Amino acid sequence: MTLQKNFEPDILGFLCNWCSYAGADLAGVSRFQYPPNIRIIRVMCSARVDPTIVLEVFIRGLDGVMVLGCHLGTCHYMTGNYYMERRMKMAKNVLKKVGLSPERLLVDWVSAAEGERFATLVREFTEKVKKLGPLGQETDLKLEQLKTRLTAAKDALAQQRIRWLVGRERELVEDKNVFGEKVSQEEFDELMFQTIEKEFAKRRILLSIEEEALSVREIAQKVGASPRDVLRNMVSLERDGLVSVVGIEGNSPKYRRAGGS
Amino acid sequence: MDEKPKAVLVVGGGIAGIQAALDLGDMGIKVHLVERRPSIGGRMAQLDKTFPTNDCSICILAPKLADCFRHPNITLHTLSEVKEVKGQMGDFSVKLRKYARFVKEKECVNCGECTAKCPVKVPDEFDMGLRNRKAIYPYYLQGVPAVMTIDRENCLYFTKGVCRICEKFCTREAIDFEQKDTDVTLQVGAIIVATGFDPYDPSGISQYGYKRYSNVTISLEYERLICASGPTGGRLLRPSDNKPAEKIAFVQCVGSRDFKNNPYCSSVCCMHATKEAMLAHEHDPKVKSYIFYMDLRAAGKGFQEYVARGEREYNISYIRGRVAKITEDHDKRPTVWYEETQSSKTKKMTVDLAVLATSLMPRRDVKELAKALGVELDEYSFFKTDPLNPLDTTRPGIFVCGCCREPTDIPESVAQASGAAERAAETVMR
Amino acid sequence: MNEVRVGVFVCHCGTNIGGFLDVPELAKYALSLPHVVFSKDNRYTCSEAGLTEIKSAIAEKKLNRVVVASCTPRTHEPLFRSTCKEAGLNPYLFQFVNIRDQCSWVHMQDRERATEKAKALIRMGAARAVLLEPLEEIEVEVSPCALVIGGGIAGMTCALSLANRGFEVKLVEKEDRLGGTLNNLYKLYPTHEEASRLVQVKTKEVEKNPKLEVLTSSEVKEVEGFVGNYDVTVRQGGKDRLFKAGVIIVATGAETLKPVGMYGYDGEKVVTQLELERMLKEGRVNADKIVMIQCVGSRNEKRAYCSKVCCLTALKNAVLIKETNPDAQVFVLYRDMVTQGTKYEDYYGKARETGITFIKYLPERQPVVENGSVRVYDELLGEELILPYDLVVLSTPMVAHEDSRDLAQKLKVPVDENGFFLEAHVKLRPVDFATDGIYVCGCGHWPANVDESVFQAYGAASRASIPISVGRVKTEPLIPLVNEDGCSGCGLCELTCPFKAIQVEVTEKGRKAKVVAASCKGCGACGAGCPQMAITMQHFTDKQLIAQVIPLAEVIP
Repeated sequence: MTLQKNFEPDILGFLCNWCSYAGADLAGVSRFQYPPNIRIIRVMCSARVDPTIVLEVFIRGLDGVMVLGCHLGTCHYMTGNYYMERRMKMAKNVLKKVGLSPERLLVDWVSAAEGERFATLVREFTEKVKKLGPLGQETDLKLEQLKTRLTAAKDALAQQRIRWLVGRERELVEDKNVFGEKVSQEEFDELMFQTIEKEFAKRRILLSIEEEALSVREIAQKVGASPRDVLRNMVSLERDGLVSVVGIEGNSPKYRRAGGS
Repeated sequence: MDEKPKAVLVVGGGIAGIQAALDLGDMGIKVHLVERRPSIGGRMAQLDKTFPTNDCSICILAPKLADCFRHPNITLHTLSEVKEVKGQMGDFSVKLRKYARFVKEKECVNCGECTAKCPVKVPDEFDMGLRNRKAIYPYYLQGVPAVMTIDRENCLYFTKGVCRICEKFCTREAIDFEQKDTDVTLQVGAIIVATGFDPYDPSGISQYGYKRYSNVTISLEYERLICASGPTGGRLLRPSDNKPAEKIAFVQCVGSRDFKNNPYCSSVCCMHATKEAMLAHEHDPKVKSYIFYMDLRAAGKGFQEYVARGEREYNISYIRGRVAKITEDHDKRPTVWYEETQSSKTKKMTVDLAVLATSLMPRRDVKELAKALGVELDEYSFFKTDPLNPLDTTRPGIFVCGCCREPTDIPESVAQASGAAERAAETVMR
Repeated sequence: MNEVRVGVFVCHCGTNIGGFLDVPELAKYALSLPHVVFSKDNRYTCSEAGLTEIKSAIAEKKLNRVVVASCTPRTHEPLFRSTCKEAGLNPYLFQFVNIRDQCSWVHMQDRERATEKAKALIRMGAARAVLLEPLEEIEVEVSPCALVIGGGIAGMTCALSLANRGFEVKLVEKEDRLGGTLNNLYKLYPTHEEASRLVQVKTKEVEKNPKLEVLTSSEVKEVEGFVGNYDVTVRQGGKDRLFKAGVIIVATGAETLKPVGMYGYDGEKVVTQLELERMLKEGRVNADKIVMIQCVGSRNEKRAYCSKVCCLTALKNAVLIKETNPDAQVFVLYRDMVTQGTKYEDYYGKARETGITFIKYLPERQPVVENGSVRVYDELLGEELILPYDLVVLSTPMVAHEDSRDLAQKLKVPVDENGFFLEAHVKLRPVDFATDGIYVCGCGHWPANVDESVFQAYGAASRASIPISVGRVKTEPLIPLVNEDGCSGCGLCELTCPFKAIQVEVTEKGRKAKVVAASCKGCGACGAGCPQMAITMQHFTDKQLIAQVIPLAEVIP
């Protein structure tokens, strides 16, 4: 990516109706000024923001995303913001895997009385994203490659295993599972990040063989992984019916993405 | 009964009045909600956060204000006062005086052009006099109805016959100096009194130095200082020099539990002092707070744990002892002189800011209102009720809730308000 | 398929917007957007004139989507929605774009960039508008009767109030008679009214009321349904009776902790306040030297809360003892005297006048009850005292009934860490549960004095009467749609929802999530977490959200 002088980041904010959106309104009523880089999308609760939507924002080339909810403990819908926080943790993790700075996604809490705080948050985030540069500046990827990776990331976050895990995080970490066991936050995070890594790898493989049939070695080269890792994931993908062998070249099978998702 | 239920009058637009009005409105009963200030919201709108959840006060209040405003069964009468009540339960005739706002509520869109141009500056009541407002002003930014008001006592046109610059700059032709105070008569079946409280003015307790020492404040003033939408944007600055306050003394029971002033307990001060100390620490982790108390009253749900958290995590020390006097040093730092009961020693402590938790008292003109309503007050001038019918006043058909009944916290005010609504509904639906 | 025809109205709001953005330019830009067939700039879109223009345009231009770009939806969306409705357009086909509070007012120094941003916002709004679907508010009928669980002072007061208002009420009581805790009390503070008399009066009223059916020796066995439509099974004398209830009120009260193993408690020489009440009632107090100890089993590591009523109870019993035996020596060992408000602080004052001695003790130095005397370190004197006694009375806290958690599960409502029922919001909804149609009052919620239980009972009655007065409950249609083919019945949505508004049921297609529309608040927490992505949040669908994700580069090519 080339360094642009006077780069103005393009930022999207998802704000919840009861707290952060109201706080942003108050900033307006009080005339607290902030840079116009941010555009706001209103949701009723920050929990509405599916992490795949956040990924979509980056796929479309915007440079930063803010997701703002009510302060913990004060969510208008009781527990929504806790779910949002956990889901965004996933999103940040997968952004790291893609190679982007997770700081491009800001998760914070703004109450309906915090007009000045909202304006300050926006100012600071705009500055931060400005320094980070246009999307992908921090990687050495070409735009197309970045988009492919982001798509794989989005697909990974749409997978049921991850969504199931994150949805039960609160229960597992704070209550107990059916066997009466509790999982520590560290253990859970470790498990989740490993799962994300696996899914992301799988999704990258799938994308690489969407249009053409490739051998394991070719796939490994395309996605920048080791042939051994690719093969391992391939076994799992085959079992799930997501890839099929469409031909052989020499000793190597050629794989292609099959139907289903 | 096939007759449509009569309307209910709710006097007072604070959280209690609002809750009562909303419940009745939702039941399908028509409500007249009367508020003497330019907008509803009451004391709760002045608070920064509320214990024990530390919810932002205006954030949880604002949706209720909007609901009241839009409710098809609620008629808001702001800038209005009840002057007389005739009749009996089920059939009251109420004389309401509606004071002129001099602004047309339907036209005004709260754009602020008039306020910007008005040349008059007077102390802002909502901000407890800590900053100034204009003679044409919004009572507070999130107030409902969201319109301006002209303060006739300070407006140059009304006092000197000149100016009217606001009128020139209003693009909606919303300003109308010709408006008059009017009296209307309302026919209602029941009345609910929810007029709230005024904070005790401790200038009479001269040894505390209130109004003499700039860094001695009362709780409501502190709330405005610590509030993000207050005069200092939530920065806790000493009134004398705008330097940050890092050591704070909270003096409890000022004017309360005091035979010379108010013998009763104001119920909420132990808790709100804890909250205020917590907020100061949240804003600045260097802050250390001392709460000088007599008996710690934290009996509500989650209250005891809240206090314990304050001690553990927010650098709050509780010192049992009554403060005898407050003096000031050359740097205007208040010095608190107290007897520490545990050691039986007299001690003193110099702090940056002293916050007096003053009594919650009935409103200054409550006697007038009681007379107009035809109800009795108790020996402290709160509306008299009896313990087994805690929401009924001495006049059948007139009910009471919230702090005008007895000093109490928000959850109890809200429960009482719903309760009073129920009593009123029982009455009008007979 | 009908053509989508969008009308865009851009507001000047006097100079609030017009003074900082090029509003006519925005109206012109809007017209260039896909599906926009009409655009106009108004001075004040919310004025009578502005609203009339919207209605005329809908009719003349056959608009089927309306976008207003002005202030904030939080104040004005309902107004414009009503306006659309008046013109015959479904109110959910309306889209609001905030170009004042979140644009003109916060970018006052940069007209060009502010206008650019407003263009982008309008484009985003129009893109969403195109995808909006007409929706109808959901209405659910409400069974016009109330079920009150618990026949103590709170339950009776609540049931009576609702019955007096003309509603059918069923009052379910576990014991064989009404009265609850009051049946175990002697006299009530601060008036010294006899508890039994109050119970008698209330019971008579309850029995006389034709709308009130009382079921004593009865327990709630099962609760199904949702607001307006609860099916409750009550077991009475071995037989099950099924009731329909529109609303349910929980007034099950609390118990008093028995201080087993504390301070030498033996039920004879060392008793609880409750046991003392019975002794006073039966005239069996023969002691001359009485020592009362406050905060026994509360305000400690195990049970952090203050039970509110114990100080007053001790004061009252001490005063009663002094009344019958003025020479009795009564000591009250306390940590803090909790007598809040006017009446109770007064009562404390009067109690002091009877000659009761108050001794403040420290939590770190608990009193010790030995054979014949109590040793206590008096904090204010700074000395240890030895108090001989004939009777020691321990003030223990109110605790949740053992079966409160059980009932909570049946009703699907939460309890706090102490087993007391947890309300929807500690500050502003003290007698509501988060689950619609269920309410709580009295000591089941938290230790309460009689007057508090009474006004909470009236409060709960008020709240409960709303759905049954109106006869129906309306919900905004921002509710989820479950794609049953995609749904695996995993139940994560049910786990996520705090309102019990989406639940997994067994259907012919297997376990599937079903939406309880009447209870749904439209937050979207379930939808954004569904592992199968089988939930569509109406009016805030993924497509509608993503349609608004438009890079600035597209707006200003």
